Amino acid sequence: MTAKPTGLMLVAAAMAVESFAQMFLKIGAGGGPRILSQRFRDLAGRSRLGRSAGAWIGLGIAAYALEILLYTLALHRLDVSVAFPLGSLCFVGVALLSQWLLGEAVGPIRWLGVACILAGTVFLAL
Amino acid sequence: MERRRPKIPRPVVAGLCLAVVLDTAIQIAWKLAVSGIPAGASATATLAGALASPFFYAAMLAFGAQMWNWLRVLARADLSFAQPFTALSYISVLTLSSHSLHESLSLAKIAGVGLILLGVFLISRTPSLTGGVPAAPAPDGRRLRP
Repeated sequence: MTAKPTGLMLVAAAMAVESFAQMFLKIGAGGGPRILSQRFRDLAGRSRLGRSAGAWIGLGIAAYALEILLYTLALHRLDVSVAFPLGSLCFVGVALLSQWLLGEAVGPIRWLGVACILAGTVFLAL
Repeated sequence: MERRRPKIPRPVVAGLCLAVVLDTAIQIAWKLAVSGIPAGASATATLAGALASPFFYAAMLAFGAQMWNWLRVLARADLSFAQPFTALSYISVLTLSSHSLHESLSLAKIAGVGLILLGVFLISRTPSLTGGVPAAPAPDGRRLRP
């Protein structure tokens, strides 16, 4: 099926967008860019909008809406058994962003947990 | 702070439970809202069909409640701690939909459920907030980093 590569790219894009949506919501809920790692904190704190928690929440909700659109488009092109496990890639995206940008301690046990969840969704889709 | 057995604050536990319940409600309501629409319907027909269903508004209401609840959870816990718990809604949705469709559970599905439960259990054993749960925010607003 020629629609498949497009579908796979759409799922990947949807999960990347969802990971960022979650991070934006976390920044908003956590009281603004002060929870970011040093480098990004200075960058985001430079503008007034970047310091506003409400702006981050708004950005998170907008990203969510985009994610729903992308995932819906992907489901039109892919079988659910493919789209569903790929959808759990957002757990990997969230863990990576949490570690890199938010400075959270994602240790080996948390990573192992994410790997188990990923494997679990593959089995669920069989 | 206890390092060996990290205690999850009660509001976080309540918030995570509510998140799974609301996530399940959103998915079921969403499915019911679009289930009557033919698969080949145009985008506008799909949208019109969804807007005509009361389940669509139930899903939106649950989504609003979810957003409020989720922000409260994220204010108190690491994102990389809280977000994987939402994988539990895969299990609840599967259980509810397979029950209503009278599907039998295959070995693969049981293995999948087991792996997701194991993953969430492992994550629940890690500290819920990097740097520990602060009694009060530091004067300079910074958090401890490992």
